[in-house]
Amino acid sequence: MTSPSAPETASLPTDSVGMPLPRPDVDPPGRWTFPEPTTARLDNGLTVHAYDIPGQYVLSIRVIVPLSTRAEPRDQEGVATLMSRLLDEGTQAHSTDEFTELLERKGIEFGAALSEAGLTIHAEVAKRSLPAALALVEEALATPSFPDKEVTRLVRTRLAEIEQERASAPHRAIREFAATYFDPAERASRPTAGSPETVRGLTRAEVAAFHATHVAPNAATLVVAGDLAGLDPHALVAEAFAPWRPSPVATPDQRRAAEAAADRHRIVLVDRPGSVQSEFVVGTAGPDRSVEPAWAAYPVLSFVVGGSPNARVDAVLREEKGYTYGMRSSFRPRRAGGLFLTTGSVRTEVTVEALDLLLGILDSAREGYTDQECTAGVDFLRNTAPGRFATADAVADEAATLVLDGLPLTFTTANLDAMGRLTPEALAAAYGRFVDGQWTIVIVGDASVYADRIRALGRGPVTVVAN
Amino acid sequence: MPLEYPVVRHTLPNGLQVVVSPDHSTPTVTVNLWVDVGSRHEVAGRTGFAHLFEHLMFQGSRNVASGEHFSLILGAGGRLNATTWFDRTNYFETVPTGALDLALWLEADRHGHLLDAVTQTNLDNQRDVVKEEKRQRYDNVPYGNAMRDLYATVFPEGHPYHHPTIGSMADLDAATVADVHAFFRAHYGPDNTVLTIVGDITPAEALAKVERYFGGLPAIGHQSRPTLAQLAPLERPARHTVVGAVPNDRLYVGFRLPVERDPAFLAAALAIEALAGLSMSRMVRRLVRGDQSATSVQGHTMGFVDGVSLGLLAVDVADGVDPNAIEEALLEELRGFAASGPTEVEMEAALAGAERGWLSDLAAQDQRADALSHQALLHDDPDYVNRFLDELGAVTPDEVRAAADTWLAPGSRAVVAYLTGEENVA
Repeated sequence: MTSPSAPETASLPTDSVGMPLPRPDVDPPGRWTFPEPTTARLDNGLTVHAYDIPGQYVLSIRVIVPLSTRAEPRDQEGVATLMSRLLDEGTQAHSTDEFTELLERKGIEFGAALSEAGLTIHAEVAKRSLPAALALVEEALATPSFPDKEVTRLVRTRLAEIEQERASAPHRAIREFAATYFDPAERASRPTAGSPETVRGLTRAEVAAFHATHVAPNAATLVVAGDLAGLDPHALVAEAFAPWRPSPVATPDQRRAAEAAADRHRIVLVDRPGSVQSEFVVGTAGPDRSVEPAWAAYPVLSFVVGGSPNARVDAVLREEKGYTYGMRSSFRPRRAGGLFLTTGSVRTEVTVEALDLLLGILDSAREGYTDQECTAGVDFLRNTAPGRFATADAVADEAATLVLDGLPLTFTTANLDAMGRLTPEALAAAYGRFVDGQWTIVIVGDASVYADRIRALGRGPVTVVAN
Repeated sequence: MPLEYPVVRHTLPNGLQVVVSPDHSTPTVTVNLWVDVGSRHEVAGRTGFAHLFEHLMFQGSRNVASGEHFSLILGAGGRLNATTWFDRTNYFETVPTGALDLALWLEADRHGHLLDAVTQTNLDNQRDVVKEEKRQRYDNVPYGNAMRDLYATVFPEGHPYHHPTIGSMADLDAATVADVHAFFRAHYGPDNTVLTIVGDITPAEALAKVERYFGGLPAIGHQSRPTLAQLAPLERPARHTVVGAVPNDRLYVGFRLPVERDPAFLAAALAIEALAGLSMSRMVRRLVRGDQSATSVQGHTMGFVDGVSLGLLAVDVADGVDPNAIEEALLEELRGFAASGPTEVEMEAALAGAERGWLSDLAAQDQRADALSHQALLHDDPDYVNRFLDELGAVTPDEVRAAADTWLAPGSRAVVAYLTGEENVA
């Protein structure tokens, strides 16, 4: 932006002795690689990866247990999530209050996340309390007691959470998107944590049975990351996890992508009379990270199309029009298959104009990318990597995600290297493999303001549903 | 034992305070600026202005085109943003080491020469963007305005913390280009700013670069007004009730607290942890896991500098439970705690959690830089990041009890109740 109308010398910033300072050049950084772990396998089958990250004094632990929410009985959907939330609510050796106290006296942050691809336990702990944290994580995974009282409570909590999600426009929109995009026979079309009719009746026996048949060390992986100087992480993990007995568990074939609904190319308006904004989800199919020829193009495309205020979407909708605080487009891989989603909100009055502009931008992105866009996206992703993966938490998260997706731990580095070889043509080809101009569109807002004009856009059949 | 993050300080002749903390673990550098202006400095009729102004800092300056700050930093492999809060506005980027000069040049251009590029068009555009931010984060969200209501209930009319940083739609509409000029001239200058550099650089190199890019900016002769006197606890309970479209009843119970570096502030923060912050805390144990009359209980502390801070309990009331009964139970726990103080185990857990949380906050360069800027700008003491845990550890159980007795008294509570029911805007 400076060369055609080069600023006058007098207007350049000057240093303390009055010398003008032109915009500095950037020295490009060297190649960077994701840390490599030391790996071992315990007698009970648990795989252990230890990442030494000097200077990271809070250690991050992850335990990844692959399982599929497809394994939940249809009338017990949400049982896997409920099981995960109950793991730290009491064990065979300790009551709920006792176990909570054991964690908190050591300052251990404990959490469990359940996705379509599996269970991930995470624990964060100051370095000196690693042995205590490992022992408590083992206890939670191997010998949870699922007290009846806590089962009842967390069922009620989930029912309250469903109401809170229904009241939240982004949550409501993504739930409707899943129900519209995926074939109704697919588990993916319904909430991972379950629906009122499937959660309400869940029992302790069902939770315990799901745990017994799906959670065991044989298929599980533990990641520990942080400053490991002076510690023998493999010995510590082996000692803490030795009591966890292996058992036969179902290992579902997770390589099949969820089928999309035959009638997914349509528009659903979730009606909220009086809403001051319209919340959008606009989506279509995308790849998972095993896609051929490579995943590398997709994070770059996400950045260029909808990853910043300067990306194509916000350059128009935010910076030119002022319709939105920000919309984001991104390719979101699942265990198999994936989605390309654009999400965000605009004020109610401009809903139709914003949707029309957005679809135009997303469709025209099939036509190609400039060298400058390609370079900027590649440089952003490759050169931010050292900072993005600088903490124990970030390294453990990345490793856990790779394990959950069945990818090698060398994937991150190989993917960054592959980005360096991308061209604008490769970006266009990668986008065009999935984006065909046919969309599933959900808008949560005051449908009475814009339903007729949305129909008139001719972008697909329109249905209006209640919030 | 204090932490050992290096802290090197230097002040330029124009008043710019510089803090450098080398860390060569990754080939990146964070540049973090805190400007001593936030929503507490706003005047009536111009609420939300400090934040709207922050948006304009990305719309170009003397030698930088609109949006170019973003595109140059992102394209160099940097991550960046800015935020506005009651007590300050911060601007920050983490870049590969080879882009440090670019980052400093860009920051110096906008912190020194913003006004050359401010236009009515940019102001109108970012006003629209900020109004969408307000709708997205507050107005179109269940309970989205609860904190606004709590500030207004806990703090008196006209107090700097009575209104939220996002401001009001009417005040955003009223902002003019002349306001932008006046605000920049009043608050943006090297003598009202701290610049922190954390990362892959030596202090000598960092200071030389800062002098190079910022040395030429003139001081603005900024005079801070003295901070206000400490507000006493509320003399009687205050209450604000909102009935409307929320998924469940929720109570927010707020208290005035001492300013953030007052020793009693840390004691009050530990009391709130023991009462409601921890999973083993008294209120969680009684209401969530005990009689299950609440689905969640949270406790938070927000430290401020201008005469008061905020302590806060938030409770999601279980379906079918009377919120008044919940409130009575909270008050009972407050009274009990003020009488007997924390147990040994509560102290141990609150401190262990604080240690893990503080070390996590310092784990990444960008957050460490933000913590250093915070302590340098607001307290002239960046090394506090190394001493914080020791000071927290020195608080005695009786000081915690006394802080609860003084600052968390039932009679000094402000309650904001969001209740389910037919909308009734009073």
